[in-house]
Amino acid sequence: MAAWILTITIFSPLGGALWLLLGESADAGRVRRAALVSSLVTSFLVLVALIMFYADSNAATDGSFCLEHKSAWLTETEDAVGTIDVSYHVGIDGISIWLLVLTGFLSPLAIWASFSGIKERAREYYIWMLVLQTGMLGVFCAMDLLLFYIFFEFTLVPLYFLIGVWGGKQRREAANKFFIYTLAGSVLTFAAVLYLAYFAYGKTGVFTLDIQALTELGRGGLIPYGIQWWLFAGFAAGFSIKVPLFPVHTWLPLAHTEAPTAGSVILAGVLLKLGTYGFTRLSLPILPDAAIAFAPFMATLAVIGVIYGALAAWVQDDVKKLVAYSSVSHLGFCMLGLFSLKMAGVTGAVLYMVNHGLSTGALFLLVGMIYERYHTRDINKIGGLAKPMPWLAFFLVFFTASSIGLPGLNGFVSEFMVLLGAATSSGTADGIKAGPLGFAYVVPAATGIVLGAVYMLWMCQRVLFGPLIEPPNTPDSSAGLTSDLTRREISILAPIAVVCLAIGVYPKPMIETMQPVIAKSVLQPLPDHSIEEGQEHFAEHPETERAMRRLGLETTTTDATSTNAASAHPRSTGRIEGLYAEGRLPG
Amino acid sequence: MSENNIHDCSMLILLLPLLGAVVAIVLRQFRLGDHSHWPVIFGVGGAAFFALNILWMVLGAEVGQRSVQSVIYTWISTGAASSWFNFEFLVDPLSAMMLVTVTFVSTLVVIYARDYMRHDDHPERGYERFFAFLALFVFSMCTLVLAGNFLLLYMGWELVGLCSYLLIGFYYNKPSAAAAAKKAFLVNRIGDFGFGLGILLIYWTFGCLDYASVFHMIEEGVAAGGQALPEGRLAMIALLLLCGAVGKSAQLPLYVWLPDAMEGPTPVSALIHAATMVTAGVYMVARCGAIFTASPAVMTVVAIIGAATALFAATIALVQNDMKRVLAYSTVSQLGYMFLGLGVYAAGSAVFHLFTHAFFKALLFLSAGSVMHAMGGIIDMRKFGGLRKVLPWTYRFCLLGALALAGFPFFSGFFSKDEIIHHAFNQNFWLGMVGSVTAVMTAFYTFRMIFMTFHGPERIPEGVHAHESGKWILFPLGVLSIGAVFAGLVQVPGEKVNHFLEPAIHQFHAAHGLLLGAAGHAVAHGFWAEYGLMIISGGLAILAIGVAYLLHVRWEWLPGLLADVAPKTHRVLYNKYYVDEAYDAAVVKPLRKSGRICFGIDQYFVDGLVFMVTAVPRLLGAMLRSLQGGAMQSYGLTMVTGLAIIVLLVLLA
Repeated sequence: MAAWILTITIFSPLGGALWLLLGESADAGRVRRAALVSSLVTSFLVLVALIMFYADSNAATDGSFCLEHKSAWLTETEDAVGTIDVSYHVGIDGISIWLLVLTGFLSPLAIWASFSGIKERAREYYIWMLVLQTGMLGVFCAMDLLLFYIFFEFTLVPLYFLIGVWGGKQRREAANKFFIYTLAGSVLTFAAVLYLAYFAYGKTGVFTLDIQALTELGRGGLIPYGIQWWLFAGFAAGFSIKVPLFPVHTWLPLAHTEAPTAGSVILAGVLLKLGTYGFTRLSLPILPDAAIAFAPFMATLAVIGVIYGALAAWVQDDVKKLVAYSSVSHLGFCMLGLFSLKMAGVTGAVLYMVNHGLSTGALFLLVGMIYERYHTRDINKIGGLAKPMPWLAFFLVFFTASSIGLPGLNGFVSEFMVLLGAATSSGTADGIKAGPLGFAYVVPAATGIVLGAVYMLWMCQRVLFGPLIEPPNTPDSSAGLTSDLTRREISILAPIAVVCLAIGVYPKPMIETMQPVIAKSVLQPLPDHSIEEGQEHFAEHPETERAMRRLGLETTTTDATSTNAASAHPRSTGRIEGLYAEGRLPG
Repeated sequence: MSENNIHDCSMLILLLPLLGAVVAIVLRQFRLGDHSHWPVIFGVGGAAFFALNILWMVLGAEVGQRSVQSVIYTWISTGAASSWFNFEFLVDPLSAMMLVTVTFVSTLVVIYARDYMRHDDHPERGYERFFAFLALFVFSMCTLVLAGNFLLLYMGWELVGLCSYLLIGFYYNKPSAAAAAKKAFLVNRIGDFGFGLGILLIYWTFGCLDYASVFHMIEEGVAAGGQALPEGRLAMIALLLLCGAVGKSAQLPLYVWLPDAMEGPTPVSALIHAATMVTAGVYMVARCGAIFTASPAVMTVVAIIGAATALFAATIALVQNDMKRVLAYSTVSQLGYMFLGLGVYAAGSAVFHLFTHAFFKALLFLSAGSVMHAMGGIIDMRKFGGLRKVLPWTYRFCLLGALALAGFPFFSGFFSKDEIIHHAFNQNFWLGMVGSVTAVMTAFYTFRMIFMTFHGPERIPEGVHAHESGKWILFPLGVLSIGAVFAGLVQVPGEKVNHFLEPAIHQFHAAHGLLLGAAGHAVAHGFWAEYGLMIISGGLAILAIGVAYLLHVRWEWLPGLLADVAPKTHRVLYNKYYVDEAYDAAVVKPLRKSGRICFGIDQYFVDGLVFMVTAVPRLLGAMLRSLQGGAMQSYGLTMVTGLAIIVLLVLLA
């Protein structure tokens, strides 16, 4: 079972799609229920995978892969030429499991949200949705670069049709632009992938695309900097467009605006993460030197994106476009965290991927719910909706709060960790070598937090508050919609809200599983001797060391006297009394 | 004192209001929304009970044992191995005193709101929402006060901001209320921008965020890893933290949101925008005394901001006609006093003023609410007058609050304000003078308000059935007026509050380095040194009240004449120095314009570049296509031309 669970999970939506394809039923109601059931089955399988992941004590605490399944694909052994190692290899670790869970969580909700909006060609629509799900699950499980690339590109096709067929007025243009834009970038990525394998062949005699093997290669410092530079540029070409990083973000607003609601949810929620995930999984570990060299450049683009996206979002009249531009701004934060090359920053970035998927996905759902009732997304044509739609108001304010990083909700945790990582990038307290960023990046990025509140609250004020403004002949109740959210819609939003709250209050389980992975297979912890050097540094200042130890701060020494202070909990209760008792604080 | 008890009490203080909020909303689902004040009264009242319990325990403990830190659970990772930020509480004299103030005033306001949010005994629309938000606010404010580290402080800080946003915008149909709510949140966010950076800088410097470790390392003069503290770092941190305090406590230049916040229901103005939330900045600066007092320059900045705000807001309050606006500017001004106190190394006095102010300002706001309730929502003092017969009890309570605010001898505000002015004079003559002048203005505008509202001939707007409020409203007023009159006795005689707070308020002293716990300087002794200023300021307050009486009761024509004599001054003051307009022109419009520029760049330049890149293959395609039109004659022509060129080339070669 353990070996097969991921494969079954990945291809279960495809099975659902086949079921829809072969089933003759023309009844839209049955088709959509079947699609929902299929995606729920997948979610259940993801849940099983999560439980198995936790059951595997190595994976949950040590940062290794689990539930691996590898079978030969293009593998050949030829004495004269060498070996080719390209295989179907899937597995998950503490990073990918959460993105897998995100996909499994959002997909059924997106499908459920389509029930009232999709009236034409419903069967094809749901087939594409399910096919898309397979692609996304595949990317996050792939442990072979070719497999990764295939799934990565494979997601383009269903989304191309989803936008092009069920989209808005400019859907053709949007679909074409989206497809060509992202394909153009990823062709360069593919070139880099092939060269990387070729390089590995030259070094080891194995033409390998196994991500772990390549990571070992990168970590061992076997790839010269000049080659790393070019490979990084090639990877970045494809991933940056997907993220999207300023200035290659211009496909996003159009694609988002024109896509059907569920398409936008999946696009923002999961597909954008393929880019950041690519950076996390491939660029940083395999090309560490180039990552450090590129970090200031990438972080600068990220910070520009944060501010630029926020400012552009503020002047949008189309609510959906506003949320789309907010994604540009938010993903800038995510990239900033990644390229801080620090534990806090990268953890924050991975968490950001999940959190952005939840809050922005929910915002797109809400915009879709407004659109289905009022047939407009123009902020000037609607207003004061809080009065007829209190539930909508509640959820919109809730997810706005999540999106602008209100502490206690999910967005804050990741935003704070990203900024903390960027601010402390040049430190080595986390046992990882110094990164290139610093406060110079944090200050402008933090203005993005102010601007984020500006445009989101501006939107809330216009849409929810003030006197009621409704376009003529609305709200439209032809699809069985009530004036406030229906029970189905509330049931779609409520789980997302609960998860947002849970992550904001208690993110520890996620952080705990991510950090070993980041230490093990994303960033390279300092070799042990440098920590010993730090120890010597403390030894030179015995007084300071004592002071620190009295405070319960960890000094990494293990001599007997310090065990008292540092044993139970470094910040344990009653420490202050201890200080008083010792006479450190005047009574 | 027992840690477990403290721990349990703190948890209950947080959880009871939260539970109240949830129950209030659930009640609505059972169509019992009319009763949703009950769970909140019990929740917040319970919090008040346990806050008193905590204060009792802190008082009962030995002086050296009055701080307890308790960890609830680990929250966010710092990235360093096994190092986490905790959800942790710090209970010490300062937080105990704040907790009692906050929960006590909250309870009274919630009781008051039971009647205030009804008309003819019918709950207003959103009744349960109102109470749920109030309870959520109490939860957030207590989180802020109880926080044991900067991160949790920030969380409470933002959450009270959210509650403030939700409650200012309670009447969301009113565009002005929605705009005011947004403005409040955004102006606060600007302050929090600095605050957040300050927290990051603290972490970068000290490698931790919990108060005890940070303050202790400052005392030792060490930074993370045992290195020496970089020069000027503490001043930098203090300035960044100050940004947050200036935003939340509505000081210059970020005070602009507070007057607009009066769009919210009056109980909200009383609780959040007068008594509790806006004092969070004062609390924070007092809490971080170790950081602030380390840098005399920053302390000067704090004192100047405080003095300037106190004076500036008082001048605006002189001419406002909206009762709540007068009180709002008065709040800004009084918060200025608190900052002045902080800036002249008298944090204890500042917190004491915070304490008395919470009573009398909440009292004044709630009285204003009672007037508004009676006047059918009208709050413009030009439209009514002489109400003391119609609203006898409201009048009496309001008068007590006004006397306290005006600094009438032996009322609570008299003691607390006087102490701050006293310390200001000790520090710098001009700071003291600004404090005294502002005190005179305060007495004047307060009684201008009283006389305009309650004295003179009886005038009631047409169609309004004026009536004294019911017991739900009068009871809290009564309790608060007891506080407004007698709260000063907590401190005087003998500076009891200062001594109580001493262990919690850290202060650097020029001669001795950091003194852990010195809430204020020892004041010079001798009769005149001690009481001279008291007598003078008491006299000035009485004098100002007399002038207000003459101007607004005796010679009613005079204020109009004054406004005519100095029309420009009056207009500038009445329009609040045009600060809002200036901000709009200097910040909002340019930002919005740059947003348009960004979007323009997006549409034309960036996309244009992309278009040009894609134009290359398209152009090639177009060129090739034109060669393949399918017409035989053009193929023939091309062929012949090509042949001719080749022949020509061959011949030439």
